[in-house]
Amino acid sequence: MSNNGDEKITRRDFFSLVGWAGIAATMGGSAFSFYKYYFPNVLYESQKVFKIGKPSEYPPGLSERWKKERQIWVVRNERGLYAMISICRHLGCTPNWFSDKKVFLCPCHGSIYDLAGNVLGGPAPRLFWRAAVKIDPVDGQIIVDFNHRQDPDPVSTENGLMVEEASREVEPFFLKG
Amino acid sequence: MDFKKISDWITSTQFYKAIFRHGYEDTPRNRAMTTFSNVMYHLHPVKTRKESIKLRYTWCMGGTSLLLFIMLAFTGVLLMFYYVPDARRAYNDIKDIMAVVSFGSTFRNIHRLAAHLMVFTVWVHMTRVFLTGAYKSPREFNWIIGVVLLMLTLVLSWTGYLLPWDQLALWAITVGTKMAAAAPFFGVEGPFGAQLGMRPDTDVKFMLLGGTEVGQNALLRFYVLHCVVLPVMVVLFLAIHFWRVRKDGFSGPL
Repeated sequence: MSNNGDEKITRRDFFSLVGWAGIAATMGGSAFSFYKYYFPNVLYESQKVFKIGKPSEYPPGLSERWKKERQIWVVRNERGLYAMISICRHLGCTPNWFSDKKVFLCPCHGSIYDLAGNVLGGPAPRLFWRAAVKIDPVDGQIIVDFNHRQDPDPVSTENGLMVEEASREVEPFFLKG
Repeated sequence: MDFKKISDWITSTQFYKAIFRHGYEDTPRNRAMTTFSNVMYHLHPVKTRKESIKLRYTWCMGGTSLLLFIMLAFTGVLLMFYYVPDARRAYNDIKDIMAVVSFGSTFRNIHRLAAHLMVFTVWVHMTRVFLTGAYKSPREFNWIIGVVLLMLTLVLSWTGYLLPWDQLALWAITVGTKMAAAAPFFGVEGPFGAQLGMRPDTDVKFMLLGGTEVGQNALLRFYVLHCVVLPVMVVLFLAIHFWRVRKDGFSGPL
């Protein structure tokens, strides 16, 4: 642009600017459309938000009803109910429940968890995730959101990696009653 | 901030100098370097006459065909992210691309229209080369490469036709492969075919379809041809085509 005295945009500058703006708009628009294209709007994988029946269907203790299909355990204690994700926090195997010893044992590298998901031994560095749960107001069923997970920082004690239970029994990861 | 200092430092790094080999001075050496050190100019002929690159002479149909081929390769790769050549889901994948995937219909329509257009531009390019006599010596070999590229374009267009797996696709390929079955010597229904021992499960139609009817084998076969085999062949022949243009120079009025 000419800079002597009053600033004037010449015809040449103007068309050059329009041309470059057009190129920039084309590049930006294409980049945006490629970006959007990479995120599918419909997925054909297993549902990550699903219903598991009414709270009254779950008696005190552990339910393995959904372990195979949905990779969760449903646990009811004296205060209420939570959904724990059956994925070992070491390398992602599926642990088994041993009702005689009251522990989960991972078949891959021997991590040991208690019913609340605390790590009693083995290589697991963190506690079991718990998934968000809520009640459907229409049919009263429990809705589990598999992707919304509670993952507290554990404290190392002589019994293993622990988290205070009261801090885990909070919304939306716990259903009272 | 001393921008001169910063830019001097950037242009002095090995990283910069490894990519940009020479400066901007208008010297005979630099002019030669521009061609030697740039792959695009390197592919292009060293000298072209002003008259021979006029639009009214070339119609720019070869370059347009190349541009369309690049667009087709690009959008084709995008479509491959969502399309599976499985007879049970191929049609639904196309439906999803058209109705559900963001910008899916845009990319598919670009792919489709560019494909139709490329068949047209390749034909017009060859018509121009014929009318201007650009196929004559020393360019007769490049004309043959051009005929091969025309055939590859048509077969690419035809194999892509089957992939939507709808009625149009099914019957188009049924007709096309029946034509193959009527080919002399290699087709069961063609002249001398039956006499040479061609049967419905041994002739050229069977080879194309991987079966006796347009089914899963045909879909997978056409998909692999359309997405891998034919594009790779086009790229190889294009390389020879452009290299020949560089060696023989542009045709055109002297």
